[in-house]
Amino acid sequence: MSEYVLELKGITKIFPGVKALNNVQFQLKPGEVHALMGENGAGKSTFIKVITGVHKAEEGEMFLNGQKVDFKGPKDAQAAGIAAVYQHPTSYPHLTVAENIFMGHEIIKNRMIQWKAMNTEANKLLKQLDADFDATAEMGTLSVAQQQMVEIAKAMSTNARIIILDEPTAALTRSESEKLYTLVDKLKADGVSIIFISHRFEDMYRLASRVTVFRDSQYIGTYDVDGITNADLIKAMVGREIKDLFPKPEVKLGDEMLKIENLSRTGYFKDVSFSVRAGEILGLTGLVGAGRTETVEAVCGITQPDSGKVYLEGKEVHIKQPSDAMEKGIILLPEDRQKEGLIMSWGLGRNVTLPTISKYAKSGINDEKTERDLAKKLLEEVDTKAVDIFQPASSLSGGNQQKVVVAKALSQEMKVVIMDEPTKGVDVGAKAEIYAIMGDLAKKGYAIILISSEMPEILGMADRIVVMCNGRKTGELNRGEATQERILELAMEKGHTGGAE
Amino acid sequence: MAGKSGRSINNVPESPVKKMIFSWEGILVLLFIAVNIFCAMFSEYYNLSSLLRQMPVYLAEVFMMLPMAYILVLGEIDISVGAIVCLSATMSCIVCNTNAPFIVVVITALGVGTICGAINGFILTKFQELPPMIVTLATQIIFRGISEIVLGSGGSISASNTDGFRAIGGKVGSVPYILFLVVILSVIFAVILGKSTFGRRVYAIGTNRLTAYYSGVHVQKIRFIIYTIMGTVSGLCALFLVSSSYGANTTTGNGFEMDAIAMAVFGGISSTGGKGNIAGGFISAFIIVCLRVGLGQRNVNAQVILLIIGVLLIAAVALPNIIGNVKKAVSMKKN
Amino acid sequence: MEKKSVMKKITGSREALLAVVLIVLFVVITAINPSFLTPKSLMDMLKNNAVTMVMSLGMLCVMLVGGIDISIMSTLALSGMSIGMLLKYGHISSTPLAFLIAIVIGIACGAVVGLIISRADVPPIIATMGFMYIYRALGYQVSHGGEWASAAALGNFKNFATTKFLGLNAVIWVIIVCYIFFFWFMKWTRTGRMIYAVGSNPSAAEVSGINVKNIKLLVYTIMGLLAGLGGALQVSVYASAMPDMQYGGEMDVIAACVIGGVSMSGGRGTVIGALLGSLILATIAKALPLIPFFNQLWLNTIKGIIILVVVVMNVILQRIADKNALKGREM
Repeated sequence: MSEYVLELKGITKIFPGVKALNNVQFQLKPGEVHALMGENGAGKSTFIKVITGVHKAEEGEMFLNGQKVDFKGPKDAQAAGIAAVYQHPTSYPHLTVAENIFMGHEIIKNRMIQWKAMNTEANKLLKQLDADFDATAEMGTLSVAQQQMVEIAKAMSTNARIIILDEPTAALTRSESEKLYTLVDKLKADGVSIIFISHRFEDMYRLASRVTVFRDSQYIGTYDVDGITNADLIKAMVGREIKDLFPKPEVKLGDEMLKIENLSRTGYFKDVSFSVRAGEILGLTGLVGAGRTETVEAVCGITQPDSGKVYLEGKEVHIKQPSDAMEKGIILLPEDRQKEGLIMSWGLGRNVTLPTISKYAKSGINDEKTERDLAKKLLEEVDTKAVDIFQPASSLSGGNQQKVVVAKALSQEMKVVIMDEPTKGVDVGAKAEIYAIMGDLAKKGYAIILISSEMPEILGMADRIVVMCNGRKTGELNRGEATQERILELAMEKGHTGGAE
Repeated sequence: MAGKSGRSINNVPESPVKKMIFSWEGILVLLFIAVNIFCAMFSEYYNLSSLLRQMPVYLAEVFMMLPMAYILVLGEIDISVGAIVCLSATMSCIVCNTNAPFIVVVITALGVGTICGAINGFILTKFQELPPMIVTLATQIIFRGISEIVLGSGGSISASNTDGFRAIGGKVGSVPYILFLVVILSVIFAVILGKSTFGRRVYAIGTNRLTAYYSGVHVQKIRFIIYTIMGTVSGLCALFLVSSSYGANTTTGNGFEMDAIAMAVFGGISSTGGKGNIAGGFISAFIIVCLRVGLGQRNVNAQVILLIIGVLLIAAVALPNIIGNVKKAVSMKKN
Repeated sequence: MEKKSVMKKITGSREALLAVVLIVLFVVITAINPSFLTPKSLMDMLKNNAVTMVMSLGMLCVMLVGGIDISIMSTLALSGMSIGMLLKYGHISSTPLAFLIAIVIGIACGAVVGLIISRADVPPIIATMGFMYIYRALGYQVSHGGEWASAAALGNFKNFATTKFLGLNAVIWVIIVCYIFFFWFMKWTRTGRMIYAVGSNPSAAEVSGINVKNIKLLVYTIMGLLAGLGGALQVSVYASAMPDMQYGGEMDVIAACVIGGVSMSGGRGTVIGALLGSLILATIAKALPLIPFFNQLWLNTIKGIIILVVVVMNVILQRIADKNALKGREM
């Protein structure tokens, strides 16, 4: 018998044009909680999908309890006792909780589904998890936390011995996270081995005994949680000292550009106020689900706030739709590049000029020559790695796609630039370039709002930091006074309990 | 800007001629020629003058293809248009029979169509969550239902004062007015879709609605305009339909929505949105018109023509997909 | 407490709401015209709507996976016409054999549609539009270009619709058997639940090992089967077969499902809903001539308005529910 329940060696996974995993390894001991950490795009998700049989690795071997295994599909992994709980629950919203739990392994007798037995069994599992809902509830009516619980119950119902939790706390509130911790402890006590992916250091300190770090698709190392300092861990994840990544220029701040006052939207955010000055980079941070994106989307006319005021250069403005905001010079670079930022099947040039086509058009007819020249100029200005302006946006890497989004913003007359998670899924090299662009924009006197969950990024780039939690603004810190701990404290509202420093 | 590497990005497009030859439109042109050769061999009466003489009956439907192409590019569908034609034709006959001046009849036809289209547009933009399929299904039943109520138990009406209708059914030399109008409208619709900012935005909505919205495109306004124009053009179609039959009944316009969609989809306009152009739809419309005239001259049953349209429609969408799937499977095996 | 939960169940459940609507309709119509609520009148109503009622079950399956099928009445015409001609020219005379042939033709038609949709990725509306033309045209070909098979030509076959069994018309028995079977199939079998799963979240279904393509093929084949059965029923109930029968009738079937709460985007809908939806449509069709001012000509308009009101109400209710859920979110 091997020392490890699960061991992977030399795994390489290649997607068209990218090495998503490059010769990585991983060992999981029985009954341990093993954290898997790394920046966005480090290859964690791909790695998980290799383990669960969704992707097939081009190279490498996988051993389960010392035996070499070769999964053909997700079903094989399931049968081998490996279950994954994804960040966004992959459930059936129209079906009941019990059905979701037993999908694929229903209780069947005489070719009939045994609803009663299934409901009883499901309720038993839910009770073990201290769930506050019934197995007959419809999945779609549950909260994300509750749906996650169902997914865990599903993993338990298959008698999984290895459970993978992919950023389970990302969408949870503080008390819900606490509940999840207890649950993981319980599973651990039952001898289940757990792989835990998280961005929150708190999760790791609270739960894991060992941590493996990936960076840029490569394996960096495995450490005992008690034996590594926060700084060392960040260094392992980022690959260099934080400071040199962020070329924050010294900019003399100008007048106040954008001010929002008591902005509220029922169910999303409440009484949020802040302002940003010309040349300033305002960091807006908080945990996922804190209402940051929703707040700026209301400012940009994507949605309508229920109450509150927005001032631009001291004058109140009424923004009813995205085009109003753009006309006034408030430009949003949306969080989801592929769904909101770009038309992936379109050429780069057309993407860049989409918001401004009517400016070049003569009596409604497009001036394609001017468009092409402008697109070329802007794309070169942000140094996009592209061959021509006709290649589809989908052919670029994440970082270069983000540059196209920036070029698209540059085609407009800007006053305030709102960047929502601009480096999400971007490799480290391209990150630095995007920070440099951000710095340049600040130097040119634009007011910048940077929304980010990545602590180093916020600390490195922002002049001032607004922290949100659960739809409210919980604090504002100057560059000098901001530390990772202070921000976390505000982002978690009631002070954090975990952490080992 | 920072980090400038001086990399140059090409912005010279490839030659449009080369692009055209290898496109679906290129294939359609060949098919158009083939269909005409076939018709000429099949029917001894098939020639330019008989084509021009017999074409007008089928041309009215070609109008419908134009705005339908826009709706398909949006990634949507409107199946109420046949019923709009019916209601519009019915109303214009009724107005005509009051001895109103013909201009009033024209306004009635176009007006009724526009109002019906605007109703579709209003519901679809106010309740964006609703799929266009179900909304236009309901309005289809309603519009035709209103015609049924108006027409009463007889179920038909004939226009007593036919002078105006006869006039718009006229010709310049041997070329019917309607052919001019079809060509002019096609050019206008093609230019707007292919060359204007409006058209670019329609493609943007059809390819990625959310990105279009985030980029400041007035998604709902554009949808409303297109559905309304679809109604107006249906009214125009009704006008020409009455001009060839001098009447309307409860089955007027039956299946026109299907024909319009078939012409557009066969012309390479994707029903899932974002792809295709008017040129393709235009050529495919004339392939179908020629086929109808040619086969009609030898008294081939109209049903056979529908069968051919059905096969063409499915083949046009299915074949590229099947070829793509096979290619993918082959390359997977190679790896 | 108990009472409240019953109330909540009624207002919360689509089916219960529809049942209430149906009962109210019955009461109102009977009050206006008592001749509506007689056994004979109700039997006639069921018999005349048998085709729509049976085919709603197939449309339920198709719509559950997020599809649509507008070729069904062409399939019905093709299968009905085929057995009509076979009977007319004396190739067959046995009623069960005629039913079997109609059903087999229906299955074949449905399977072809399913293959094109599931294997060639043709959008359902486009594929079934094409087959609507194709099958209708084939029906005309079978009828030698528009021949009818009239009552006299059908022989014993037409008697099926007048035969009684245990006091109920044979056609009504067919409806009952179909509904019981589907109630069991959709709720209690694994395949039935897979149909729901595919409609609810196709990518999750794929990951959990369900063959999504085969499920799609299956639902269109089921639809074809029921369209074939519908063809035989149509010929026997109306004692004639003509190539243009049920032209446009697919709208009624879709309407019945939509009114019964089947979602166009898939995943939501029940057999009971389809039953109640088609019963409500049938009741309105039956009742209109009995009500002063309205007449049969108003039928389509009212039908269309009902569909529109139902779908718009759905959206409005959903918006209100979403808003309330947001209000409840703690901040």
